Amino acid sequence: MSKKVITREEWEKRLNDVKIRKEDMNKLVMNFLVTEGYVEAAEKFRMESGTEPDIDLATITDRMAVKKAVQCGNVEDAIEKVNDLNPEILDTNPQLFFHLQQQRLIELIRNGKVEEALEFAQEELAPRGEENQTFLEELERTVALLAFEDVSNCPVGELLDISQRLKTASEVNAAILTSQSHEKDPKLPSLLKMLIWAQNQLDEKTTLLFERCQRSFCVKLRFVRHECLGVAPRPSPSCRSYGVIPGGCHGVAPRL
Amino acid sequence: MPASAASNRPEDLIGRLSYAESGAKLKALREVKNQIIGNRTKKISYVKLGAVPRIVDILAASEDDAALLIQSAAALGSFACGVDAGVRAVLDSGAYPHLVRLLSNPDPKVVDAGARSLKMIFQSKLAPKYDLLKEKNMEFFLSLLNSENENVTELAASIITHSCETSTEQKALCDAMVLPRLICLLDGSLGQRDASLDSLATILKNNSEAVSKFVSLNNGRALRAVIELTKDRYPRTRLLACVCLIAIGIASPHHMQELEIKTKLIGILIKLLEEPGRAGDEAPFTLAQLIANKEDLQKLAFGVKAVERLCNFLQKAPLTPPAKRFEGILLALAELCSKLESCRSEFLSLQALNIVLTALKHDCAEVRIAACNCIKSISRSVKNLSAGRFTSETIVAPLVQLLYDPVTSVQVAALHAISNIVVDFTNHKLVFIQNGAVKQLVQLSKSMDSKLRLNAVWALRNLAFLADRIRKDSILQELTISTLASLIYDPEPPIQEQSLALVCNLVDGGVDSIEHVFLEDGVIINAVAKQVWRATTTEVCIQGMYVFSNIATGNELHKEAVMHHLLPQAGGFTQSVIIRFLQGTESQLRTAAVWCIINLTYPESPNVLDRVARLRQAGIISQIKNMVNDPCLDVKYRVRTALEQCTFGNCSISLYLLNGVHWFGFSLAIYWETTVLLLSSDALLSRCKLAMNTLVNLREMISFHVSLFFHMLQLVKALR
Repeated sequence: MSKKVITREEWEKRLNDVKIRKEDMNKLVMNFLVTEGYVEAAEKFRMESGTEPDIDLATITDRMAVKKAVQCGNVEDAIEKVNDLNPEILDTNPQLFFHLQQQRLIELIRNGKVEEALEFAQEELAPRGEENQTFLEELERTVALLAFEDVSNCPVGELLDISQRLKTASEVNAAILTSQSHEKDPKLPSLLKMLIWAQNQLDEKTTLLFERCQRSFCVKLRFVRHECLGVAPRPSPSCRSYGVIPGGCHGVAPRL
Repeated sequence: MPASAASNRPEDLIGRLSYAESGAKLKALREVKNQIIGNRTKKISYVKLGAVPRIVDILAASEDDAALLIQSAAALGSFACGVDAGVRAVLDSGAYPHLVRLLSNPDPKVVDAGARSLKMIFQSKLAPKYDLLKEKNMEFFLSLLNSENENVTELAASIITHSCETSTEQKALCDAMVLPRLICLLDGSLGQRDASLDSLATILKNNSEAVSKFVSLNNGRALRAVIELTKDRYPRTRLLACVCLIAIGIASPHHMQELEIKTKLIGILIKLLEEPGRAGDEAPFTLAQLIANKEDLQKLAFGVKAVERLCNFLQKAPLTPPAKRFEGILLALAELCSKLESCRSEFLSLQALNIVLTALKHDCAEVRIAACNCIKSISRSVKNLSAGRFTSETIVAPLVQLLYDPVTSVQVAALHAISNIVVDFTNHKLVFIQNGAVKQLVQLSKSMDSKLRLNAVWALRNLAFLADRIRKDSILQELTISTLASLIYDPEPPIQEQSLALVCNLVDGGVDSIEHVFLEDGVIINAVAKQVWRATTTEVCIQGMYVFSNIATGNELHKEAVMHHLLPQAGGFTQSVIIRFLQGTESQLRTAAVWCIINLTYPESPNVLDRVARLRQAGIISQIKNMVNDPCLDVKYRVRTALEQCTFGNCSISLYLLNGVHWFGFSLAIYWETTVLLLSSDALLSRCKLAMNTLVNLREMISFHVSLFFHMLQLVKALR
């Protein structure tokens, strides 16, 4: 199978043929800021670009408070906040409720409160395990933490990782978003995933005669990916991101 | 802080709910709420400790304290969420009017809290029915539905889903212009959309008038919107859109004629199984409902590999899939396999039967029932039945075990499955007898529960079908003549019918078997006769006549007994019951009656002439002479045979043979037809061939075919 050859002229011509509305790009950015909870950035972006968010920005503050509480290990606090926000969320979502309780247990173990942890596991988590086989398995894994002297080096040690907190936090975040009829994931990362897919397809099926173009395209992409796909929590999100993302995507977005 | 930890004990918290000053009260209330949300066990223990009435007291007493109102409403809502005892406690404590009052509070947060709690209550089956036909109620309801508040509109929609049951209520809602508003809500928030789809399905269910109204709204845009929502990103929305479309399709099929939509619905529902949570749990139930009793849809489902995909879910699932989902998948499989042999063989080839067998021992009664239903459908396969595939110990033992189940509906489901499995041509019936099944079946046939009685007798009837003498004896020994007689006299006609059918099978197959009905001073035959004379249900009469037909195949004494019971007695009725049946509108009853005459006038039996004379005297012969052109083909042919026998009862053997050849051709034709349709049982075929070779006498061959045909008919009736 021979690859299709695309010349520089052809490539640029195609790119120039595609018009993207600035408002659409702004909406995409706003969607990202709102979903990820960068409330200040969203507010500033709204003022600067005139893009209206599809959700009351005040609700973001509440959601972020919950998310932050989980990220800091204050699970009990997070649960109370979610219940104040909307008591239906945890009442109708057993899996999320279990994961929050599990996180609470993990925090107790992390803080060396063995007695309290055991009591909590027995009182609160064991009944959930009886209701659901998967929960029981997860519970057993968590309680196994108590059996090891050096928890950081045990087979289930990853439960104590910060990533476990982040996982739980993003689950709560998603549930609150869903309860507010908002998509639980920002659109941008999936667009980027499709972008990478498209790029791979291009690599597979065509030869771009204009090497430099492709390289610059990759550099931009990597930069963008670093900015918005990174899952590491940033305590104070900066407004920098929205200046970069539209520019980063602009040249290649039409391929999607 | 050990002190505060101790004071968070449920008892202390509840104490503070009643006696603390308002700040501490609010704190305690909030603590209770946070403890019970998401936690079934805590809800139940707080309900037991009497927390609910105290919270209702707070709700009732807090006029303008928004925080207390919100917290108490939220706590009550959580008690009502997912726990029946909680709903009951909330309703019994009189919370309902107080929560309704919150809906007119000026603080939107209070309104939200009240609406959410009421919504939870209305999502439970225990909630009181909201009478939509009362004008005042309807007004209030419409004010809710048209509210700007999201939670209040969702509440209104759940009121519809909970309370709209009759077509009058559906019509009242349509007349109040509820449909356009619901369609508006389809563009609303996620919760509104789902609630709206749910209520639309409720209003359109089985109501073609409502459906045509709905379909014509906005030039059909409403219907298209719902179809569009089957592709929504949220699984629950997809499911509810499917439910709505299915309701439309059932109420007025012509709106859902497009094959494409149906295939898509099946595909969407199967795909939904991949979703964790409620949508995935409920999807197989919806699928089962969609394809129930619809062979065309089952074919479509088979075409998109539904059997394979459902079985895959069962096999891939973790050790124990959630009970609800397990049940749903089994029910969907049961529907798929209920009519199509192709589905059954696919199911068996995928080795899915083993999973169903483990499901028979599941902790959850609903799963056990679903597994029984599945086996019932699979065992409709005559091909596999006659190959003895279902009579292995591994299948029979757990099914028999379920006959002892504490839950009646499980016992009934197990009886259904067993009824099919025991319809067997080979001698596998032994497995049942060895497993003590007969003993328990007999026990159940004496149950106070009429459903159990009915199905136990049905199973016994099928067990006696084509059974050999030893097995029949063992059934009768366990059952006893007197129990059988009392079953024939059962107050429920369906049980009478099955009991007579059981007798029919017991007396079938030779003079020895017929003797059973004459045991203990003929208590059985007397019971049969009594039912035949006085029963008003056609089905009972049909089975009764078949019992007499079978008895009439016996020796002279047997035939005489039949004559005695069916002809009017001196001083009794003036007209034979046979004439009444022959004049009946039900062709099956006419057939049964003519069969009886055929057997009574069977040529070459010593007293045939005398019997023909008596039948003539009773006006029966002239009655069947009027039936030579009966609209029912079956009746018509049998009438001819009967007439030939009555007219040529004493004719030469050659004439008889001629008559026989005619019969032979006819019954053979029916036999082959039935065989092709029903079974390719190796066992039966070889039996048939053997019979052909050894039966030199043409007449015997004829009677063999006739009785074979008769068995076939019974088989068709026996299988459910």
